[in-house]
Amino acid sequence: MSSSLPVLPTPLEEKHPKLPNSFQVSAEMKMMTNLISPQAHPLASNNGTVGYMLSSDFVFPKDINLSSFSSNSSGSQNSLFIPQSSTNGVSLPPISSSGIEIQSTPSVTFSRERKENSWCTDSLKDFLDFPENVPIQNNNQVEGSGGGMSYEDCAKTTDWPDWADRFLNDDDSLEPNWNGLLIDVDVPDPEPKVLKPSSSVLTHQSEICQHHPSQSGEISAVPNSLSPAPSSKPRMRWTPEMHEAFVEAVKQLGGSERATPKGILKLMNVEGLTIYHVKSHLQKYRTARYKPKLSEGTSDKNLTPIGEITSLDLKMSMGITEALRLQMEVQKQLHEQLEIQRNLQLRIEEQAKHLQMMFEKQGKMEDKKLKVSSSIPDEPSSPISNVMQPSPVNHTSEVSEQPHVASGFDAEESSQNVEQKQKAPKTSSHEFINQDKGMSSTPPTKRARAENFLSS
Amino acid sequence: MKFGKRLKQQIQETLPDWRDKFLAYKDLKKLVKLVSSSPAVADGSAAKAEAEFVYLLNNEIEKFNAFFMEQEEDFIIRNKELQQRIHSVIDKWGLNGNHPSDTNYREEMGKIRKDIVDFHGEMVLLENYSNINYTGLAKILKKYDKRTGGLLRLPFIQKVLQQPFFTTDLVSKLVKECESTIDAVFPAVKEEGGVHEREQEAITVAGEGIFRNTVAALLTLQEIRRGSSTYSHFSLPPLILPDPDLIQSIQLQSPIPIV
Repeated sequence: MSSSLPVLPTPLEEKHPKLPNSFQVSAEMKMMTNLISPQAHPLASNNGTVGYMLSSDFVFPKDINLSSFSSNSSGSQNSLFIPQSSTNGVSLPPISSSGIEIQSTPSVTFSRERKENSWCTDSLKDFLDFPENVPIQNNNQVEGSGGGMSYEDCAKTTDWPDWADRFLNDDDSLEPNWNGLLIDVDVPDPEPKVLKPSSSVLTHQSEICQHHPSQSGEISAVPNSLSPAPSSKPRMRWTPEMHEAFVEAVKQLGGSERATPKGILKLMNVEGLTIYHVKSHLQKYRTARYKPKLSEGTSDKNLTPIGEITSLDLKMSMGITEALRLQMEVQKQLHEQLEIQRNLQLRIEEQAKHLQMMFEKQGKMEDKKLKVSSSIPDEPSSPISNVMQPSPVNHTSEVSEQPHVASGFDAEESSQNVEQKQKAPKTSSHEFINQDKGMSSTPPTKRARAENFLSS
Repeated sequence: MKFGKRLKQQIQETLPDWRDKFLAYKDLKKLVKLVSSSPAVADGSAAKAEAEFVYLLNNEIEKFNAFFMEQEEDFIIRNKELQQRIHSVIDKWGLNGNHPSDTNYREEMGKIRKDIVDFHGEMVLLENYSNINYTGLAKILKKYDKRTGGLLRLPFIQKVLQQPFFTTDLVSKLVKECESTIDAVFPAVKEEGGVHEREQEAITVAGEGIFRNTVAALLTLQEIRRGSSTYSHFSLPPLILPDPDLIQSIQLQSPIPIV
């Protein structure tokens, strides 16, 4: 279940005055006042229960040439996202439409990030169609486990006004938008290739569903479901604390069979939580309790574990205990290794980001230098100007160029940092050398080789 | 072996319900080829392909997030249920319980032990799911930048790092809690003989259980971490297992092909 309002910041405030679920609106409005970035932040609620609402925040390539999109209605959120890179950005006209024509235009640098909540698989329709008895399956369509509210504080406050203004200025009321979208969306288009950047949440949702035409019923339902009460589309990320509150509320209301979602919602009193979240969670809860009760006392249950255990060929007449112990060991190792790997991956990207920033700084320094001494042939910086050649789109040259610059400037510092943080295998030095040699090649190739450097 | 193949292997060896939830690596690769093959053409085809690429990436991430959070929610519920089950068994049939009964206690605890170990395994498999998809994303983005000279990788991956499906702290916490619960309720007994035997004989894991999946995941992880042609300064170092004998001694029997 997941019904959710599209998390369209400003437009939502203005354009959903008659949302039946006023709770939703206020929650959304509160969300709107914060910029959204894909980081989970706890939601404070009156009774201390916290939940995480998240939105996804994706990035659109800087140098993509997207110009006009045929749009039925403006003001819908683009499902393509824009990185916040340089401050001199060209605003992308609001996009909402069925087909789009992407024409090549002078490359445009986008400077804003779009927040999107497009949990397409959270379909309100599922809610409306399936009574509470239907167990939730884990498939693409019925990913109803608590449509999530996405809510994040965004650090990039500077982008907000631009983007908000855009919506304010350009948007029609959302109602007609939605109708327009519904019309668009109903056009069956299983082809993932056709881009349909319309109101991010809505069409995105249906498009994603259309990617899986095999799961039929729910797909076509999705667009239709959007016209009635739009509840929070964003998915709710449950926490153990929230679940505790949930269990407590259920207990107070007389048990999982008797408790109603509405009652639970009220008792829990968690900001941003909707009845749909509660509904789906309740369903899961009931299923989880029902299954073990089924198997209690039946002989079947006794057979199953043994059947599973003999998945180990008991060559050594291993007991169940020993088998389970072995299983635990493997699993523990896997867990440990995954944690280590994840931390490494985080560090690698941090480093890459750091290098990128350093490189940008140096690039800017060079820029100034060049401007100041424009008439003077700049020999020390000629390797730099080579590097600065890249397309007009990128004012910030790619990190991959860094090694070249680094060789001229803070090579010691950067390479030391890099080597301290990671045990560099011997091959790394070869990488350095290769890239130096590649300096005279064309930018894309340089980037290509240098990107090797940043392989993850 | 290439990542694409490893991923395929992993998908084969994963829980059936999860099979379509993994990264569409192949499709993304095709798009990358499309983008890089048409730069010379002046029409918008390169841009279009690029937009498609981004679109697919975003969709995939959505998919991961939705699936991950759903599983996470399930884990939260099941965790609580297991805890309650354990407590009720101890209270009822434990030594100090209402109706102390050794046989019942053992029987119920036996079931619980199996369930909790599998529960632990599933959670770890979700972590593995998260990681392998991240790895795939990182690789495809790197390929993209390399082929097209684009600058997509860095900012995109920064976003990915913050996505719900990658922020696995809660699941990790639950895993650790599970481990301590197991240690507390099922204290480890020194089994000298068992260890000795394990070293000598290989263990074949057949069947479709969680154990099989976790073994497969660990092996795949190890393989992916082997050096590749693009191994560099920024690559992950090869996997070092604290107990290499453990995994070496386990073989996976080939799965019965699903017709």
